[in-house]
Amino acid sequence: MTWVTIGLSAGILLSMALVLSYVLGWAAQKFHVDVDPRVVKVINVLPGANCGACGYVGCGEYAEAVVLEHETVTKCVVGGQSCAMAVSRIMGVKIDEMLPYRPLVHCGAHYEDRLGRYAYRGDKRCSAANLVTGVQGCTYGCLGFGDCEGACQFDAIHVVDGLATVDYQSCVGCGACAKVCPRNIITITPFKSHRILAVACSNKDKGKDVMAVCKVGCIGCGACARISNLFSLEDNLSTIDYDAYTPECSLDVMEACNKCPRERLVFVGIPSREDRKKARDLEAPDVVEPDFKTTVDDTEWRG
Amino acid sequence: MDYVVDIFLIAVSAALINNFVLYYFVGICPFIGVSRRVDMALGMGGAVTFVISIASFLSWTITTLVLTPGAPVTKWVGGFFTPAEMAAAVDLTILTYIVYIFVIASSVQFVEMYVRRFYPPLYKSFGVFLPLITTNCAILFACLFIMSKVVGVDDPAQVWDLGRSLTLGFFGGVGFTIAIVIMAGIREELDLCDIPKAFKGAAITLIIGGILAMAFMGFTGVDSGLRAAMGGVP
Repeated sequence: MTWVTIGLSAGILLSMALVLSYVLGWAAQKFHVDVDPRVVKVINVLPGANCGACGYVGCGEYAEAVVLEHETVTKCVVGGQSCAMAVSRIMGVKIDEMLPYRPLVHCGAHYEDRLGRYAYRGDKRCSAANLVTGVQGCTYGCLGFGDCEGACQFDAIHVVDGLATVDYQSCVGCGACAKVCPRNIITITPFKSHRILAVACSNKDKGKDVMAVCKVGCIGCGACARISNLFSLEDNLSTIDYDAYTPECSLDVMEACNKCPRERLVFVGIPSREDRKKARDLEAPDVVEPDFKTTVDDTEWRG
Repeated sequence: MDYVVDIFLIAVSAALINNFVLYYFVGICPFIGVSRRVDMALGMGGAVTFVISIASFLSWTITTLVLTPGAPVTKWVGGFFTPAEMAAAVDLTILTYIVYIFVIASSVQFVEMYVRRFYPPLYKSFGVFLPLITTNCAILFACLFIMSKVVGVDDPAQVWDLGRSLTLGFFGGVGFTIAIVIMAGIREELDLCDIPKAFKGAAITLIIGGILAMAFMGFTGVDSGLRAAMGGVP
């Protein structure tokens, strides 16, 4: 009796397995969908960060667009040149040299540099604070509530003493911070070397007005533009022509940097070996105290 | 006439009164997971209805022909090895779970291949949720519900036939679709609402699910009233 039950159970399961696998095998052949093998290959060489910087929902969709709709192969900023090269090899197209794109924060003022700052009791986000006046004097500069910090998926941008600061070691250049910044002070710029020169100010007002709101903002004196033609003055703001920019800065460029009365022409990027050597001797505090002026507490009730 | 009334009541009961999602609380994960947009919810409901119908057909067939004590196939095959009265007593209901899961998984695979071939946009919008139907408890619940009406019922007139089982499966799927589409409609409106931060996301969704379930409680008792109104045995 027991053996009959056991035998019947085994036999029934076995025969069900046979029948169902036959049906599924038939269906797999009948409903077969041809996937372009290149799509799989492209997905494999993409970084898989699914950050959306290319404009597609994820890496898989971008891969499909590349293969099926002949989308540009260089759109993945996270993968950079090596990734674009691999994709171009699969697709059989040629690409030029590709520069890594990284964000530049065009503001250099920390809390102590900003004037006309008042107590702000609203939603502690830049997008909300940007709607009202009086949060701080400068209507161009960083608000320091860290919308960019929240948007970054790679923990690469932080508000340090009221100023958004990019950690270029972790940054992949997806551009999420630039998109979310309500004051548009972050630009995604092609980095020709690890460190490039940047204008750390966005204020387009006249010098006197800038002096009234910021201790460090560009006053539009035009000293840099007179010394080197790499710089030009647009709307009272020094601007760098990145097409003409070379990693090896010529003497006049360095002189212009030194001449700037507000020291707004600064190098940003991954620190060079000399910088690290210089910083090695600096004494760092043992414990870093959290700064509640700048920390955005996401657990806080916001109504 | 009694049979028609019975079928009608099973349909109403499965779709509304004893709604799988909002009364028995099975199939909650797609109910929460795919109820973001109404069109996706409709697609998911359609897929579940389809799979649940196939699964209830297969589970009724297998239960009646093979698994229940004294089932024809068991009796016939067992008859070769053991006396007829012993073969009739062989009880294979212990196999129900594994067999149902087997059947559900294969039919989901089948549906997935079919949809991928003929409705690629639907396949894309399902994403991971189509394979997840495999472990959708609403479907296993329908199979087990049918089993409970076939196995161990003393009165032969009360044993469910294929028509009743298919009705339960199909209208159970319809009930699931109704619930998930209502939920998706509410959630689409919720996107425009000013929800306190503490309730955002899953929390408000679960609260709404609970309120919906309470609303569906209002149907309780409608079936016996309907049966009495249609002249059946209460």
